[in-house]
Amino acid sequence: MTVTELHSVRAGTPRRSAAAWLHQILSMPAGAILLVFLVVQLACIIAGLAFPDDFRYLSPQNMGILMRSVPVLGCLALGAGILMIAGEFDLSIGSVYTLTAVIMAMLVGNGIDAFIAAPIGLMVGAVIGLGNGFLTLRFNLPSFIVTLGGLLFWRGAVLLINGAVQVRFDPNPVFNAMFGGTVLGINAAFIWFILLCLAFWALLHRHKLGNHIFATGGNRAAATAIGVNTSRIKMIAFAIAGFMAAFAGILATTRVGSVQPGQGAGLELQAIAACVIGGLSLRGGRGSILGVFLGVMLIFTITDVLLLMRAPGFYLDMFIATLIVVASIFNHGLDRRGGAL
Amino acid sequence: MSLLALHNVNKHFGPLKALSDLSFEINENEVVGLLGDNGAGKSTTVNMISGIHQPTSGHISVDGKKQVFTCRRDSAEAGVETIYQNTALVDSLSISRNIFLGRELTNRFGFMDLKRMREISMQVLESAVHISGIDSPDKLVGDLSGGQKQAVAIARAVFFKRRVLLLDEPTSALSVRETEALLNQVLKLKAEGVSSVLVTHNLYHAYQVCDRFVIMSHGTKVLDVDKANTTIEELTQHVVLT
Ligand SMILES: Nc1ncnc2c1ncn2[C@@H]1O[C@H](COP(=O)(O)OP(=O)(O)OP(=O)(O)O)[C@@H](O)[C@H]1O
Ligand SMILES: [Mg+2]
Repeated sequence: MTVTELHSVRAGTPRRSAAAWLHQILSMPAGAILLVFLVVQLACIIAGLAFPDDFRYLSPQNMGILMRSVPVLGCLALGAGILMIAGEFDLSIGSVYTLTAVIMAMLVGNGIDAFIAAPIGLMVGAVIGLGNGFLTLRFNLPSFIVTLGGLLFWRGAVLLINGAVQVRFDPNPVFNAMFGGTVLGINAAFIWFILLCLAFWALLHRHKLGNHIFATGGNRAAATAIGVNTSRIKMIAFAIAGFMAAFAGILATTRVGSVQPGQGAGLELQAIAACVIGGLSLRGGRGSILGVFLGVMLIFTITDVLLLMRAPGFYLDMFIATLIVVASIFNHGLDRRGGAL
Repeated sequence: MSLLALHNVNKHFGPLKALSDLSFEINENEVVGLLGDNGAGKSTTVNMISGIHQPTSGHISVDGKKQVFTCRRDSAEAGVETIYQNTALVDSLSISRNIFLGRELTNRFGFMDLKRMREISMQVLESAVHISGIDSPDKLVGDLSGGQKQAVAIARAVFFKRRVLLLDEPTSALSVRETEALLNQVLKLKAEGVSSVLVTHNLYHAYQVCDRFVIMSHGTKVLDVDKANTTIEELTQHVVLT
C-alpha cells in the first residue's frame, strides 16, 4: 500500500463506515424494511421505558399478545409470499382459512381425533390451492380472477355446510399443548411460526425449488426455455399457499377454542399487504422471507401501538394503506434489488 | 450417419405457416451456418430442436433414431444446448443462479452448493467469453449490459455443452473483440467434438467458422451447400434474392 492510499483509508474510515453500513443494509433484499422496523421498535421501546404506565409496550401482557397474534397472519403471509414470488396471487386464502378450520372443528366435534382432523384440514387447503392453480394454468386466466371466485365460493361454502353459527373446537390435551400451549414462556404458535420461517427461508433461498420459484415468477418464458417446468412450480406454490392458510386456521382455532364463520374476511388482503410491505414485487420474481417476516411484524406493531394508544380502529386501515403505497413506491424505485443472490 | 436431422418438418402457428417441409442434417464435427432473412424461420427451427416448439408434422432424429422433444429437458438429455436469440435469462436472479438454473449443483436433498456454483460461474465466464466488466457472480443479471447478458448465456451453454450447440444470433450485442472470442470458441468446441449450428445475419462471421450453409426463405430450405463449393457472393445472393 502506498502512502497516499494509507492516508485516504485512514481519513475516510470513521465517516465512510457509517455511510457504508447504511448503504450495505439498504442494498440487502429486505434492507429498507429492516431499517424501518428497527427504528419503529427502538421508538416503541424508548416510549415504553419512558412511560411504562401509559404505554405498556414492554409489559408481559403485550408480549403475550404479540406471540399469539403474529403467527396467524404470518403463516398466511408466508404462503401468499411464496406464491407471489412465483408470479401469482391467491385472494381465497382468508376463506380457505375459515373453511378448513370449520371442517377440522366439525370433524373433532364428531369424535374424530384432532391429530387426524388437522391433517385432513391441511390436505383440503392444499387441494383447493391446486384447484386454483389448475384453473389458472389450464385456462390461462389471471389468478387474481380465479381466486377472487375462490374467496366468494368458499365463504359461501362455509355457510352452506355449517350455517352462521360458531363451531366449538375441543381437541385432546396433547394437541392443545402442541399448538396452543407455551414452552418456557413462549407461545407454541409463535415457535411454529419461527420454525416455518426458517424452513421457508431454506426452501426459497437455499433449495433448488426456490431457485425455480424465483425464475418462474421473474421470467416465465426464459425459465421454460432453460428447462424449468414452470407450470409444476406454480402448482406447488398454489398448494403451499392453500396449505399455509389451513395451518393458520389450526393455530387460530386452537388458540380461541372455536371458529367464527366470518373470521377470515380481509385476512388475505392483510397477508398480501405484509408481503408488499416486506418488499415482494407484485410482478413476481423478487422478495425474501426476511421481508415477509418483517412485513408481518410491522403490521402487528402498528396495530398494537394504535391499540395501546386507544386510537379508533379506522386509523389502522389508514396507516396500513399508507404503508402499502409508500412501500410499493419505494420497491418500484428499487426494482433491481431484492432478487436472489 | 448424421448426428441430428430434421425430416420434412412443418410448423404452423395458427393460420401462419412458419416452417414447411424443412429437412436438413447436422453431422459430427461440423459447424452449420443457418442463414436467411428476417422471419425466414431460423429461430423457429432452433426452438424446435430445443424442444420449446413441437413440429406440426414431420420429426427430428438423433443418431438416426426418431425422437420427440416435448420440452427443453428432452433435448438437453439428447445433448442439445442452446443460446437463444433473446438470451433467456432471469433478470431478478444472480449470474451464477442463472447459469445453473434447472441444473443446480445440489446435495442429495436438493439444497444448492452456492459456493461451487459461484466459483464455476466465474471460471467459465473468464475462459469462455473474455467479457469485460463482470467482476462478481452475485450480480443480478438485470444489472448487466446487453453484451454481458449474452456472455452469461454463452457461458451457460459452453459449460453444459454435450453434442450440439445451437447459437441463435449470439453476437448481436457483442463487441468486435468478444465476437472473435466467441467464434474461436465455436472452433475450439468443434475440435473437442461438439457440433454447432450458427444462426447469424453476418455472412462474414458465418463464412469464417462454418463448414456448411443452410439458407432458409419463408420457412423452407433454398440452399444447402458445403463451404468448398460456394463463395460469400453466392450466399449473399441466395439470402437476398430468394
Ligand atoms: N410463437 C409464435 N407465434 C406465432 N408466430 C410465430 C411465433 N414464433 C415465430 N412466429 C412467426 O414465424 C415466422 C418465423 O419466425 P422466426 O422467429 O423463426 O424468424 P427468424 O428467421 O428467426 O427471423 P429473425 O432473423 O428476425 O430472427 C415469423 O413470421 C414469425 O412471425
Ligand atoms: Mg430469429
